[in-house]
Amino acid sequence: MDRKEEERLTRLPKVGWKGYAALIFAILFFAGIFASIQQAAWLRAFDFSTLIGKFGTMASDKATFVGMGGASARGGFLFALSLVPSVMLAVGCVEVLSHYGALAAAQKLMTPLLRPIMDVPGFVGLTLITDMQSTDAGAALTKELVDEKLIDKREQTIIAAWQYSGAGMINNYFAIVGALFSYALVPIVVPLLVIFILKFFGAVVCRVVLDTVYKGDFAHDR
Amino acid sequence: MTDKMTDIREEQLREAVVPSGNVFDIFIRGARKGWNIGVNNLIPNILMAYVIAYILNILGVMDFLGYWCGPVMGLLGLPGEALIVLLTVWLSCSAGVGVAASLFMSGMLEPVHITILMPAFILMGSQLQYMGRLLGTADVPKKYWPLLMAISIMNAIIGMVIMRVILAFF
Repeated sequence: MDRKEEERLTRLPKVGWKGYAALIFAILFFAGIFASIQQAAWLRAFDFSTLIGKFGTMASDKATFVGMGGASARGGFLFALSLVPSVMLAVGCVEVLSHYGALAAAQKLMTPLLRPIMDVPGFVGLTLITDMQSTDAGAALTKELVDEKLIDKREQTIIAAWQYSGAGMINNYFAIVGALFSYALVPIVVPLLVIFILKFFGAVVCRVVLDTVYKGDFAHDR
Repeated sequence: MTDKMTDIREEQLREAVVPSGNVFDIFIRGARKGWNIGVNNLIPNILMAYVIAYILNILGVMDFLGYWCGPVMGLLGLPGEALIVLLTVWLSCSAGVGVAASLFMSGMLEPVHITILMPAFILMGSQLQYMGRLLGTADVPKKYWPLLMAISIMNAIIGMVIMRVILAFF
């Protein structure tokens, strides 16, 4: 071993039992040993080649390049890739619209509504409206507001609470839950209204929890 | 919020809308930001969520919970099978709706149960997937993820209670 090699090794952190355990796990994980034990199929949950999953196939003319029946890492990757265009289009459009002052207009119109309820500035209204149609575009716009330093961590979390519970509510309600509309005993707009109101309720709960339990986290922001 | 903070905000808003280039250049700049969000946030986060869902599926965690914790559904006026629906909905909204439809076909869920469940399909729907698609993409600090998940489930429970009350009028 030459001198350089020795120096490099001494800079590595000390090896503890955790390190050896991790190494053993890594060997089992990557070598496919867990997948070969027939009696314990559940061990496959810790096998690399199992968790890569599979790409879907395009057996039907309804399938896009994402295919049907994809799973785990490969399935998730292609699914995520299929969402990228909507994010690019949404952020591109908002860039143009805010160039013409849409954010400032939203700020003026929606502050009187959003500030008292959720304690967030009015321009996030644009993000919230987007979220009702598209989860991914809404998420990308929130990230944009953070990157532009227009909202702080506390406001970001409150907005996320609104978005997360019932994201893409209009699209998902009609496109997915729509399959069950014929069994519903109430007008289909009723559950949608309940969902919409509870989104605000959840955001208010988040606001209250952040201002009490996590009060210290945001002291320096104020 | 102090006036000073508002002033700073307005300044930032002005900066964000500062004119530069033509409308196509501005769109491209935004689309490029969208690409970066997609590659750096969306794809890694969704990949993780899919792998977690796959692990839960292989381990049979959801079936186990549905079998042993089903009876608590009685509190919401729902049969024990409804918990399987809700657990599946949590992983994926469309899969959960599929489970609900098949339980309905086999007579284990009545129209009244479907109606009670409806807000929950959306309010706690696809939470595992949206963890990646929404919380990860929007870069929400991980510290608050459990809080946001708890709020979603709370919303779903309140929604089902409200539906139960509303049903009394129909």
